[in-house]
Amino acid sequence: MAGLLADRLSEAQVVDGVEAERWAVCGQVPQAVVFPQSEEQVAEILSLSSDEGWRCIAGGGGSWLHGGQPPQSVDVVVSTMKINDISAYEPADLFIEAQAGTELEALERRTVECRQWLALDPPGRERGTLGAMVAVGTAGPLQAGFGSPRDQVLGATLVTGDGRVLGLGGRVVKNVAGFDLLKMVTGSWGTLGVITSVTMRLHPVPAVDRSLVFKAPDVAEGAALACRLAQAPLSLAAVELLVPGDGESGAGASSPLVAVRILESVDGADEAERVVTERAGMQPAQRLAGEESAAIFGSVRAMEDGAELVLRLNLLPSRLPDLVEMTSRLSDLYEPTVGWGMRLAAHAHTGVLRVMIAKVTRSDEGLKHATVVLGVLRQSLEAEGGSLVVSQGPPKIVGAVGAWGESGPTAPFAAGIRAAFDPSSILAQGRFPQ
Amino acid sequence: MPEPLTKDLRDRLRSVVGDAWVIADADRLLAFESDGLTAYRRKPLAVVLPRNTDEISRVMGILSQEDVPVVPRGAGTGLSGGALADGDAVIVGTARMTDVLELDPDNRLARVQPGMINADLTTAAEPFGLYYAPDPSSQSACTLGGNVAENSGGPHCLKYGVTARYVTGLTVVTYEGKIIELGGFGREPGGYDLLGLFVGSEGCFGIASEIEVRLLPKPEGVRTLLAIFDRLGDAGSAVTEIMAEGLLPAALEIIDGPTIRAVEASIFAAGFPTDAEAALVIEFDGIEAGLASDVERAVVQCRAAGAREVRIADSAEERLALWRGRKKAFGAMGQIGRDLMVQDGTVPRSKLTEVLGRISEIGVRHDLTIANVFHAGDGNLHPNLIFDRRDSEELARVDLASTEIMAVCVEAGGTITGEHGVGLDKRRYMSLVHSPDELEAMRHIKAVFDPRGRMNPGKVLPDPSDSMGAGA
Repeated sequence: MAGLLADRLSEAQVVDGVEAERWAVCGQVPQAVVFPQSEEQVAEILSLSSDEGWRCIAGGGGSWLHGGQPPQSVDVVVSTMKINDISAYEPADLFIEAQAGTELEALERRTVECRQWLALDPPGRERGTLGAMVAVGTAGPLQAGFGSPRDQVLGATLVTGDGRVLGLGGRVVKNVAGFDLLKMVTGSWGTLGVITSVTMRLHPVPAVDRSLVFKAPDVAEGAALACRLAQAPLSLAAVELLVPGDGESGAGASSPLVAVRILESVDGADEAERVVTERAGMQPAQRLAGEESAAIFGSVRAMEDGAELVLRLNLLPSRLPDLVEMTSRLSDLYEPTVGWGMRLAAHAHTGVLRVMIAKVTRSDEGLKHATVVLGVLRQSLEAEGGSLVVSQGPPKIVGAVGAWGESGPTAPFAAGIRAAFDPSSILAQGRFPQ
Repeated sequence: MPEPLTKDLRDRLRSVVGDAWVIADADRLLAFESDGLTAYRRKPLAVVLPRNTDEISRVMGILSQEDVPVVPRGAGTGLSGGALADGDAVIVGTARMTDVLELDPDNRLARVQPGMINADLTTAAEPFGLYYAPDPSSQSACTLGGNVAENSGGPHCLKYGVTARYVTGLTVVTYEGKIIELGGFGREPGGYDLLGLFVGSEGCFGIASEIEVRLLPKPEGVRTLLAIFDRLGDAGSAVTEIMAEGLLPAALEIIDGPTIRAVEASIFAAGFPTDAEAALVIEFDGIEAGLASDVERAVVQCRAAGAREVRIADSAEERLALWRGRKKAFGAMGQIGRDLMVQDGTVPRSKLTEVLGRISEIGVRHDLTIANVFHAGDGNLHPNLIFDRRDSEELARVDLASTEIMAVCVEAGGTITGEHGVGLDKRRYMSLVHSPDELEAMRHIKAVFDPRGRMNPGKVLPDPSDSMGAGA
């Protein structure tokens, strides 16, 4: 396989054996990893794989490969990391078009020169790639003020499973010329094709970046405070409830925080601060400006680092206190004394609560127990109109519980959509709800 | 001539929705033979007006059993011929489905029926300090169901984004009458974003029978400015400069000379100087304390770009008058010509001045009056070609000019429609922006939802046979 691929590309563009180990997908090591250098090469690899029936997984820098539902099998990982040029940047038009392997950090370095930025902060580091961000589609705290990747991606080029190259969307915000296939591709986890380039909407860098950090006496009050602040009659960039793990916030028991991010003009920021502080009924424990403000929210992005199990729990935002309370059911899934135990981070405007567990209890008994607990928790959340997603975890647990909940009556549509984009069924098999 | 509605089918439909709500007599069908784009007229077989999701589902069940094509319709204010039905098709209208089903201020959510008028939702949300952001110019008449079908925009989507950003959940009914829930706030179930795919699908996948939307807190303050220019190009430059300055106005709208004169001659007169060649409406909203400096910076940019006058609306009344001039521009233009063909191309903002120049040349070359009123901040143009549809020679020139305008927009890196949708009118231009493979992918996706091809047939996608040579 590696030989056939190297014949089509070059030897330097294909790795296998030990070198492929770092590209394992949920523990499964691919037979080959290829690094195409152009959209044409991606198309060539995928049509060859379609002919040969090789199972492919799309990746960028590889940071999401351990996440999501384990695939049925992996033959080839197609990494876009060598396709990484910024192809068009028009500051006056507030968009940037870049190849999929462009790191978010590189994008930011470029746009900041023109006092613009990509107003997204998905989980993971800045070294994550643009293509992966769109393929996974996950939003971070800034969703409150700016929407999620789906709201900010203007266009993309997608190479389908059988090697067709499709241009989706465009360079303008308002575009209704035909069905919005781009929405469907955003967050499709590589099941519809390999994204090779992306056009994103940009925003002007605000005059003031300020974060107010409030300290709550306990988790329940922290959740209530986060809800109250999210309901302030203001458009805030982010309101995040943070419950650090054991020992992370200094000595002893962790103290929950609510971080509010204000991105405004100079006068606007002062007024927003006044309204938020009044609504909080207390002075902020910390008041961070500029780079320090960005840094605390940067650390929220990095909260999943080193976690063995990451869950996303969701109910309506006003139910955040209930959601937080439900995490007590997870208490015997981990050893509180190993590492930092369990961290929580919740986006107060969307009601998404991320649960990060450093080390899952290892015994067979423990794994079985975890599967049962998560299954029951998912059931009770779904019964209330919510959801539970296992966004990463030991393959045994994720395999048993399933990363996603039931897709129910939309399942036949999903199958039809996949057949249209990946007729030979080679892409990310098993990675997405069927 | 298509067959009229059979008595059997009429009776079965009546048994679901009630006798009064199945319309099949020729006189009453007249009201449904066109939408906001009057160049197209077609008379449907019948119109059925259900009251709720269950009735829609039963109506669709009956129609699909009989293999009758279905065209969903809201208020019929669309501008692409998307709600027109041929004589063999039945219109399923949402005119009786106007209820707010749930308003949840704590979660800033509303669940409504699709026939609810856009502006009525904001009225309903107002007591809670909330509003619904997407505001198409027809917001006092258009329905939220229609907005979902078209993924409608409006002046304020420069800052706030289009309909798709606000729709968090839908109940949809397929051609076969199956009821399906898509999305839902407070839920991340995984799977394809079928909700996002459905929004903007122009009634080709099914009918949205309930709509869940996100509301926003009403901004504390609003400032509206009017800058008057002697040259349209200067107004375009002011737009570019305001954005380059790092400002993000809630709206940036341009009304050109011919439109100003039409508005001022109409009952919607807003006090714009009739000798000007462009009026730029700029609006900022947000925290009151932050607005003054934004306004000041915008004024500087307007003057630098050559504005001869900049007015700042001091009262709510003045503000409304400015907006009336903009929002009623279409109505006012109806008074200069019998018929209007409004185009909807979008171009990258920095290409505005160049593209406007080329549109004006196209008008001169085809001896047509073209009046422009558009969402400048988004680069979304609305050239209005004024004509008389009884004059077939003039109609042919309108068609040629429209084609050229769309080609110019695409060449500038833009697209053929920003917010009005493809409908009937622009399907033959789809291959200007999409390759045969892309059109084929869209056909596949439509077939996933509507395998028999009976939902709003003949819209959005060109026939495979003419997909190669469209534009002609």
